[in-house]
Amino acid sequence: MLVQRSDVGEFRRRYRWLVLVAIAAFGTLIGRLGQLQLVEGDLHRAQARRNIVRERSLATTRGVIRDAFGRVLAANRPSYSVHITPSAIDLETTWPRVMKVVPLDELDRAAIEKKIAEIKALPKDDKRRGQQILLKTDVDRDVVAFLETHEKELDGVEVTPTPVRYYPYGELGAHAVGYMQEVDAEALERLDERGYRAGDHIGAIGIERRWESYLRGQRGWRKIVRGVTRRESTAEIDAKYLEEPRRLEPIPGRDISLTMDIDLVSSIDKGMRGQLAGAVVVVDVRTGRLLAALSKPSFDPNVVSGGNGTKAVRDAFRRLNTDPLKPTMDKTISAAYPPGSTYKPFTALAALADRVTDPDREVDCHGGFEYGKRFFRCTGVHRKVNLHSAIVQSCNTYFYELGSRLSIDRLAAIGLDFGFGVKTGIGVNPEARGRMPTRSWYTRRYKEAFRGGFTLLSAIGQGATTVSVLQLALSYAALANGGTLYQPQVVRSIETSDGTVVQDFPPRVRRMVELDQDHLALVKSALAGVVSEKNGTAYKERIPGLDLAGKTGTAQVSHVTPRGVDPDKTWYFNRDHAWFAGYAPSTSPEIAIVVIIEHGGGGGKNAAPVAMRVVRDWEKLKEKRVSAQVPAHPPGKRGSL
Amino acid sequence: MAGGISFRRGPMVDMPLLLAVVAILTLGLVNLYSATSVYIDDESRARLADIYVTQIYWIVVGALLAILVAAIDYRHYERLAPVLYTGGMVSLGLVFILGRDIRGSSRWIQLGSFAFQPSEFMKIFLILMVAKFVHNDSRTEPRSLVDLTPIAALILLPVVAVMAQPDLGTSLIYLLTALSMVAMMRIRAFSVLSLVGTGAVSLPLAWMYVMKEYQKHRITSFLNPEADKTGTGWHALQSQTAIGNGQLTGEGFMQGTQNQFGFLPEQYSDFPFAVFSEDWGFLGAVFLIGLYAFICLWAIHIASQAKDRFGAALAVGVGAMLFWHAVFNIGMATGVLPVVGITLPLFSYGGSSVLTMLMGLGLLMNVSMRR
Repeated sequence: MLVQRSDVGEFRRRYRWLVLVAIAAFGTLIGRLGQLQLVEGDLHRAQARRNIVRERSLATTRGVIRDAFGRVLAANRPSYSVHITPSAIDLETTWPRVMKVVPLDELDRAAIEKKIAEIKALPKDDKRRGQQILLKTDVDRDVVAFLETHEKELDGVEVTPTPVRYYPYGELGAHAVGYMQEVDAEALERLDERGYRAGDHIGAIGIERRWESYLRGQRGWRKIVRGVTRRESTAEIDAKYLEEPRRLEPIPGRDISLTMDIDLVSSIDKGMRGQLAGAVVVVDVRTGRLLAALSKPSFDPNVVSGGNGTKAVRDAFRRLNTDPLKPTMDKTISAAYPPGSTYKPFTALAALADRVTDPDREVDCHGGFEYGKRFFRCTGVHRKVNLHSAIVQSCNTYFYELGSRLSIDRLAAIGLDFGFGVKTGIGVNPEARGRMPTRSWYTRRYKEAFRGGFTLLSAIGQGATTVSVLQLALSYAALANGGTLYQPQVVRSIETSDGTVVQDFPPRVRRMVELDQDHLALVKSALAGVVSEKNGTAYKERIPGLDLAGKTGTAQVSHVTPRGVDPDKTWYFNRDHAWFAGYAPSTSPEIAIVVIIEHGGGGGKNAAPVAMRVVRDWEKLKEKRVSAQVPAHPPGKRGSL
Repeated sequence: MAGGISFRRGPMVDMPLLLAVVAILTLGLVNLYSATSVYIDDESRARLADIYVTQIYWIVVGALLAILVAAIDYRHYERLAPVLYTGGMVSLGLVFILGRDIRGSSRWIQLGSFAFQPSEFMKIFLILMVAKFVHNDSRTEPRSLVDLTPIAALILLPVVAVMAQPDLGTSLIYLLTALSMVAMMRIRAFSVLSLVGTGAVSLPLAWMYVMKEYQKHRITSFLNPEADKTGTGWHALQSQTAIGNGQLTGEGFMQGTQNQFGFLPEQYSDFPFAVFSEDWGFLGAVFLIGLYAFICLWAIHIASQAKDRFGAALAVGVGAMLFWHAVFNIGMATGVLPVVGITLPLFSYGGSSVLTMLMGLGLLMNVSMRR
């Protein structure tokens, strides 16, 4: 029985509404389509292209650092690192095999396994699934060979060539050349806009740090088509979706030629072999260029540059940072020491300039100088001394007496004239300014009446006076060259990777010190006497035939032994610093040299022999180069020796 | 029929309807091929590149079913409606016992090597049941709430059952389709107002007590897609990018980059419209929407010419089902509606969906042939 025909009239009035609703709804959808496809079409097309076009960066090569004769001090060594793509790694099969050939220590392994789990847990279409993480840098050749032969079975494991910074001379000149460190997360925020990425390395100290922007070079990029599913990119696809330019070649970093001579650094290292800690600086008195610098103890930049995996670097730094001899500090620049007797020539020049003494006037040294209620000790009993013999024998009494005729501000002023108390601006490592104490400095510091005794101490380079090794070398260079204080230089020139000079740095004079040449001549003859005269403080250590002038120094250290620490264990830190500051040859000087042996004891006995040896080696090197006709590395030419 | 002699013409096939349906099916297959061509070179998912063949099988089966459904005078279904409805409810109940768990909801029943979705077929049974109710309630005065209570219960029963699976999209389709049919009747203004009021109160309650986390998440990410770059919000954004990327004329068949490079999620089930719009552009997309609009309007036309309330209600029901599917699917692909898993009729891949839609269109054809 079929249903009865029923009244459809009730529905009539509704149909119009249904049509209206349908048209409105579909109309709205078409309107939305128009908005998406016609109005905003270009935006969406651009987004769709951004989805599939990836920019892969192309690594650049860091500039090479060379010494004055073109020898490589820092370069890039080919090495391989292992990256993994966590989403593609099979934790059951691949991962244990990889761990067998690329051993990691427990901490690193746990961290990486955690990261793999995190990435694997992401939704299938998440972009971060494509992410790669670094497993290990600088893996052995045989590991590379294994991974490459088993490439097919080890899905998600990739070996990529990544050059590692290499320092052929190791510890030699390490403080000046510097080392590299990985950019940490904190620094990355700051460096992001300069194009640094996680895993990048940046110069940590020395030239590597100060000239980072030159050495670094610029990363290039190339565009590739990469989707979520289709991973192969063909020439056809590239041509269709990649806009020109598709590639920007990386710009290699600038090469830097230093003024240093690594042979000279090497002979300094030999000369310092018997010493625990100290620093040596050699500068060219005619240009202010740094010829050699050594800070001891040193470290091997190859070890701390992260070339050998994170744990090794961590351990190396733990050792370096706990060493009481402070191997990471550049003692040629970053530390200030009391100059002791090496400061006496400047006291003498001030006294002569102010005419408070006559060079021939004699002072009777009977072991010290009475001033006020105090007795200021001398190193011995020198009897009658004049200016010349006081410098030669390093008589403190004579200089206490001169100090009593001078003001402390006058002593500070001549120090400032010779470049003490201010940074030299060498631009290698953080500089210690040193201190030339004035009357107002003491007043501020001690909040009591200024005592004349301070002036006496300043006159012999003790008290609150401190200088850096480099400052002292530059001031002796000024003594040697007749009063020209140079701006110290360590970078000779900047070159492109193919040897074209981009920038050349001619010597720059900082100041001409106002000097009476007769006074200077008196002081210089006394400095020559220190080495050549029988009663000179460095006479015993002289090398026959070696022509040099200089001044020894034995600077007292005011080391405070912390309470509760066994003094037997800290005796070393209470010993005096041994100094030698001088120049050679004594008549027509070419180099100035300063040696400090930290807690080395007497300057004549301990520092002078090092200086003698270095100067002798310098002369030998000079002769060798003259006979072999090796010119100093002319900018832009690749030399080798 | 007046007069002694009646000349009965045999039932005539509704050609415009048939052509529109064939056009959508053809475009759907072409589009399915493009959508799954992504997997041709993908060893682990190469199987997916061949699902268009399976879809052809389903269409053939569906077409045979539709012919069968259309061949029998629709008035016979009026008696069958309660049986079918009850059977549908039983199978919905079975889902909870035998259901296969897919992404946290059980919607499928495994029969041999086939998995089918009872909730899809229930759409047809519900339409029949509601049509029967509308047909039998031939009062002319506006209905009160009390009058509507039985039909409300019949509608809410499957709505709640499906929501419990949970399948928000399908229960929404049930509700909207059935309400569209009920709306054909005159109802007291007060009743309508109180229904709307109840809805307004129950929505927040549903949000708090009924809806699952992932369902809420879809709605919040619809309201703020930027905040959810990885989940459903990301899907919606990628779909809009794909559609916009089509611009006026499209990237070309199998050339849409969003699809070809794997940025479109669920591109053969939930987002085929995005694939189509990216390949064929604004012109293609408007043409497709035009086809859906035509079928919906044609269904209203058929309803208006039906000779009884049952036929008219059936035509409106099938039209409404298609309408809400199309609007919701295209709406979510274009980002004007939240992402709920509602298929694009005759276009999305899926056996149960294809069979249901074709059977529904068989019913529509049936009414059209016997007006």
